[in-house]
Amino acid sequence: MAKESFDKEIQFLRMLVLTSGAYSRQQFADRLGISIHTFDKTIKKLKEIVNAVYQQLPEEQGKEFAETVRYSYFDSADHMLLFLFRAKSLKETESKRISLLLEALQSGRTLTAMELMDACCGNMPAELAPPDEKTVRSDLKYLEEVGVIRKEPGPRPYRYRLANELVQELTEEELLDLYDFADVMANTHVPSVQGYMLRDSLKKHLQRTQEDTVTLDAFLYKYHFYSRLLDEAHLFSLLAAIRERRKVKFLYFSPKKETSYASRNTNPLFERDTTGKEEVAIPIKVVYDHQYGRWYLLGFHSGKGIVKYRMEGMTQIQEGEAVPQEQFEQHLAQLEARTARSWLIDTGRTVTVRARFFHPVGAPQNFIKERVQLQGQWGRITEEDGADSFLYEIEVNGTFEIRPWLRSFGSSCEVLEPLHLRKEMIDEWKEIADYYEPV
Amino acid sequence: MNPFEKIFNYQLMSRLEDSGTFMVTGNERSWLKAMLQHSEAVQAFAPGTLAKLESLLEQDSLMETAGPLIQKAASKELQVYHPLLRQLRRSIMHRNQIKLSYMIKNGRQHEHQSGVPYKLEYSMVKKEWYLLWYHQRHRSLMSTKLQTILAIQDMPCEPERYIQLTASIEALLAKRSTSAVIQVVETYNAELSRILYAFSCFEKAVSYDDQLKSYTIKLTFLNNEAEYVLSKIRFLGKRIKVTQGDYLQRRMREASSLALARYGATPEREKGAVTATGMNTEAQAKAGADIVPE
Repeated sequence: MAKESFDKEIQFLRMLVLTSGAYSRQQFADRLGISIHTFDKTIKKLKEIVNAVYQQLPEEQGKEFAETVRYSYFDSADHMLLFLFRAKSLKETESKRISLLLEALQSGRTLTAMELMDACCGNMPAELAPPDEKTVRSDLKYLEEVGVIRKEPGPRPYRYRLANELVQELTEEELLDLYDFADVMANTHVPSVQGYMLRDSLKKHLQRTQEDTVTLDAFLYKYHFYSRLLDEAHLFSLLAAIRERRKVKFLYFSPKKETSYASRNTNPLFERDTTGKEEVAIPIKVVYDHQYGRWYLLGFHSGKGIVKYRMEGMTQIQEGEAVPQEQFEQHLAQLEARTARSWLIDTGRTVTVRARFFHPVGAPQNFIKERVQLQGQWGRITEEDGADSFLYEIEVNGTFEIRPWLRSFGSSCEVLEPLHLRKEMIDEWKEIADYYEPV
Repeated sequence: MNPFEKIFNYQLMSRLEDSGTFMVTGNERSWLKAMLQHSEAVQAFAPGTLAKLESLLEQDSLMETAGPLIQKAASKELQVYHPLLRQLRRSIMHRNQIKLSYMIKNGRQHEHQSGVPYKLEYSMVKKEWYLLWYHQRHRSLMSTKLQTILAIQDMPCEPERYIQLTASIEALLAKRSTSAVIQVVETYNAELSRILYAFSCFEKAVSYDDQLKSYTIKLTFLNNEAEYVLSKIRFLGKRIKVTQGDYLQRRMREASSLALARYGATPEREKGAVTATGMNTEAQAKAGADIVPE
């Protein structure tokens, strides 16, 4: 059986989250390159998952799906996109069987394969066929592999138990701390999908054991790029390929195709399948960009040399053959040298950017300097000019990626060098000034 | 392991939830094991818990990410945990009131202020924790850095009283909510993805005019967040234009003219009207005044 791919669901959710309600059904389907029928089917499946996972959305409510996944800050404790990772399809009999096996092992019980088989057959609803021994044994093998159950030490027949020491051994108070820890780390660090899953399971467990009147969700994260979670779908297969030095093959949709965009008037992000390009590259690094909340893959392409891909544009990823260690090391060294001075991922010529930052007027706190120190990466403050201003200097590959950051300081930042950047800044401020001219 | 394993299937999850079965995979434990290595993990637990967790996870592998996974343009990580989080989250959880003493900017202190804590907020930009609380005497919403808190005392709160206070908080939050409309300048429609990603950390609604091929983004935020919204707007520069929101428009107008004054340049339209060879004193005094703390 072909491996189930979630590319469609990921593209779908990304578009829904980013454009939140901008498109009609038809426009949405067009931009994804799918039929209205497929659009409806996808929505139906996603709704079903959300309903099962959160049990809060009766269909009759008629709430639009887009509404459901719309981001609302004070209601953002549960990650609304996590349900994507619950989308793997499973036959009814299989989900019932596995849940019966796990239920039988609750409360620290240890059981043999045959005892588990009996428990499973005895509780299987009449309309579903009872499993045979081979099936149960293969389920147990799978559950052991994913670390959900463990074999007890001792002679045959082996006894199995749930690998849920976390809830068995920790006190209620400790579990609450663990829940908070998972919440904080999943929200502030990458990768996070496993953290959100752990948080989710702990939350359900705490809700079962705590009184109704307690408020479990206490934390908020300001300016969190929550849609970054969607790209973690590909992260682990790419990291595995890097570890094994394997090439990857994928269909790539470049998010920036200005020309094709202009002629076709479609959003380049969501072009039709047929415009994707097949790419083969040796993956070397995965980059998470905190400025936009986006992911990139950096690698080596036999024809193009160092290549950069936006992860959101990568679909149908497949592993290819391994490359020799020596070759990989060589590309890695080359890539590291070329990106050592990248504000994000630019591998352009290295230039020294110098800018003067002005202290805020009449503020008790020098928040401009604080922000430069916090966000200025490896740049240095080279000269403090009394109470008025300071000089900041950084060597970067190209000026394109640092420019928005410098501009975000408004008139508190004056670019001194290089001259072309200074000129570009002036031109851009002139254009912006034009936008806001009183008519 | 693939994050789409069948063990995470939604029907299976909901059956386990119904029967009250707790399930955790090796993958989640590997993640946890890696996170527990963070130097601030010790602050997240009572003494002894961290060691207990480490021994429970002894058999699990450590999730390896460093090396091939790199992060760029992040703020320096000043703080991930704060020692007061555990106490304050419990105050919120048990719906208590608190008496709070804290430092304010000019070095003075406020002592024994009664309030209701409602959320703990982490700023991903400043990498610091804040307590969001309702100041009972001033009837106002407060945001206090945990770093500046000197003492907290928990006070039980009658459930009816708590409901009233929560209603006041909600009403104040609703009052502080404001919005602005931002248009994607059509020439930059091709950069829509970049623009939408940049705004994806806000509450927003996007609309698209099929005839004009024009995208507009309506952002909703609390009025004390306007500074951060402005920094994002300046960040995106000429790609976007604020079309509704007097305050943001005025600030962008000021920012552009003051920035041009810094460079000794003038807006296109005023060329010839003023010959600015450098910044005049008035402009100098004003420049930088367009930026206030986020």
